[in-house]
Amino acid sequence: MKKNELFAVVLMFLATIGTVIGIFAYEKSRAKGYYTVELTARAPLNGNWYPRKFTVPFGQEVRIRIRNIETVSHGFAMPDFNIEPAINEIKAGEVKEIKFLADKKGTFPFFCTVWCSNEHLHMSGEITVE
Amino acid sequence: MSVYRLPFTVYRKIVVGFLFLSSIFFFLSSPSFAAERFFEVKAKKFSYTPNIIKVNKGDKVSIRLISEDVHHGFFVDGYGVKTSAHPGMEGALSFTADKSGRFSFRCSVTCGSLHPYMIGYLYVSPNNLWVWGVFGVLALGLISWLITSKKKQKDEKLKLFGIIPLEWRFPLTKFKPLRALLKSRWFPFLPIVFNLFIFTIILLAGFIGGLGAGNYNFGVMIVWILWWVLLMMFMVPLIGRFWCMMCPFPLIGDWIQRGKLINVGKQKSWGLGKRWPNKLRNLWPLVILFWVSTWFSGFFTVKPFATFILLGAIILIAIIIALFFEKRTFCLFVCPVSGFQGLYANFSLFGVRSRDPEICKKHVPKTCVVGNEKGYGCPWMELPYEMNRNTYCGLCFECLKTCPYDNMDLVLKPFGQDLFAERRRTDDVYNRRSTDEAYKALTMIGIFLSFFLAFQGPYGHLRDMVTAKTFGLHGYLGYLLESFTIDFLLIPGSLFLFAWLSKLASRSKEVKLKDVFVNFSYCLVPVGIAIWGAFSLGIIFPNGSYLLHIISDPFSWGWNLFGTASIPWTPFFTGLMPYLQVLVTLGGMLFALDFGYKFSQRTYKDIGEAKRGWIPILIYLILIHIFFVRIFVG
Repeated sequence: MKKNELFAVVLMFLATIGTVIGIFAYEKSRAKGYYTVELTARAPLNGNWYPRKFTVPFGQEVRIRIRNIETVSHGFAMPDFNIEPAINEIKAGEVKEIKFLADKKGTFPFFCTVWCSNEHLHMSGEITVE
Repeated sequence: MSVYRLPFTVYRKIVVGFLFLSSIFFFLSSPSFAAERFFEVKAKKFSYTPNIIKVNKGDKVSIRLISEDVHHGFFVDGYGVKTSAHPGMEGALSFTADKSGRFSFRCSVTCGSLHPYMIGYLYVSPNNLWVWGVFGVLALGLISWLITSKKKQKDEKLKLFGIIPLEWRFPLTKFKPLRALLKSRWFPFLPIVFNLFIFTIILLAGFIGGLGAGNYNFGVMIVWILWWVLLMMFMVPLIGRFWCMMCPFPLIGDWIQRGKLINVGKQKSWGLGKRWPNKLRNLWPLVILFWVSTWFSGFFTVKPFATFILLGAIILIAIIIALFFEKRTFCLFVCPVSGFQGLYANFSLFGVRSRDPEICKKHVPKTCVVGNEKGYGCPWMELPYEMNRNTYCGLCFECLKTCPYDNMDLVLKPFGQDLFAERRRTDDVYNRRSTDEAYKALTMIGIFLSFFLAFQGPYGHLRDMVTAKTFGLHGYLGYLLESFTIDFLLIPGSLFLFAWLSKLASRSKEVKLKDVFVNFSYCLVPVGIAIWGAFSLGIIFPNGSYLLHIISDPFSWGWNLFGTASIPWTPFFTGLMPYLQVLVTLGGMLFALDFGYKFSQRTYKDIGEAKRGWIPILIYLILIHIFFVRIFVG
């Protein structure tokens, strides 16, 4: 009887705290082997790209996770690199991952490619490889 | 007392006249000449201008879509064609309108929080389905009148549709594996733990999803698309409080009160264990709380964080109530979704009942009430040994565990039997079969109307009102007033009027108007279940495909657990949907008519009064169903 009770308590904690730990552990394991950048997409008047400028190490495979936290679509383009996969549109609430090899040194622009607001043309940022 | 009966020729005249009228409908529905029709449709969050497009069958329809703010789409239900427009760029679409009826056109590109509900209507006349729907309602009404007007005496035994006796029971614990399951302390603990797991993910996703659009969020989609639809279409109509059985929210409270999770601990609540006030021991708190929670429907059905706050608040309140009050006071008198589940559970096919009342009579002390080492005394504060209505039974199956004689049973019973059941003890603390249940049934219809018009209607300004774009009389305050007027004045008022007419027509002297009102309000239970089911079809068919996305990527972290993350939004069965909605509505009416005449017999003392008093209610049911068919397809 006592064993049953203990088992039930363990099950309850597994279902709650265990689930949360499992989710974050899985997420961490996916990030291995890449240099990861978290990029938030918002229309310029709501905060623009965040961070707008960031630096990645030269020669490294970089993963950018673009999170659209808004209620309109955005896009992403970085003409100086071969990004995989190409993105047409990041829908509202969606997250898209792109990967590229940072094989050039210098500072390069990136843009939003979807008409997201009247300020759309100002939705751009800079990435520095060094 | 003699009853005036119409001669047979009059019946024949009515039937012939009805057939004549219906042939006129057919002439009205003859096709007209095809034409080329062009529409310029402007889209902005969350409406189209024009929001209603009318064409004739066979027309070649061309649409130019212009967006006034963000990227919007245009998808036509039933036709499956779509286009989209970025601001400054037009979208174009042309198709031949070869299917007739009313079709929703809806946004196909996530454009904001209310994106799934950005809808306009395309009418392709002749709208045969609307005509057929009205025809169906009238036909059902006529059949009901023909059957009931011929009755010469009150029914001795109540039978569902005149076939299945209402007292028919099938004891399901005959199946030994089921009996073993229901008697096990692991049941329903294991389903509860499973839902604990699901709701942990929902809460986390709601928290992480923040204020983004809800259609790619696990929390919003599971709760408001999957859970709500399952609840309204399967659990409540078929199994009653099936959700309450496996709801994870009271688990912590139970644990605190009992000191044990699955084993039997304290029978008396740890904590204050206070008794809920007598005056509030009915459905009134739940009627008000559910209505109040619909004030915020424009937020928590679309915004992940609002879903998080709502669920978090419910969990917290459940724990606090468990600390102060006894047993499942929270479930009985506070949980907002408990009220309609309780009332509608009376319609369901299942119920926990005692097998042999003689055994219960002799059994002292009643372990199903006070508990023993095998289980707890009824946490829902019912008296299981004499229970005959489902309203306050949470299907926790403790009484099956505590009964030393195996005298408690899970039975299969005819639809709606409990609606007729009187509580045997009248000195009981619960006010059963009273205005609280009547108002629960009535407000559910009103809330359905508000929800349908805002979330499946073509009216953009309603959506602005519900989401509190402005706060004044033409904004949020206006929505609250409209909701109050519909739920508490218009709909109860309409039933009250017809109940009054019914009393008048019956020429009964003794019967109280309140009893007429309460008795006939139970007709609205199957009606409410049917229209909420039809409403749910309008959610699951167009938007169910979001579920495939969110189970693979629950937190929008780019996960692809089941390989379904990249499946785009694909509405299915949108052509079939209106037909099913009409069928479901007519199905509800069928039950309402059958129940209605039975309630009339119960309300009035003799057959003459019952037949006369039934006519106004029959007319009422016909009118509201024509209205519902119009809401869905007209």
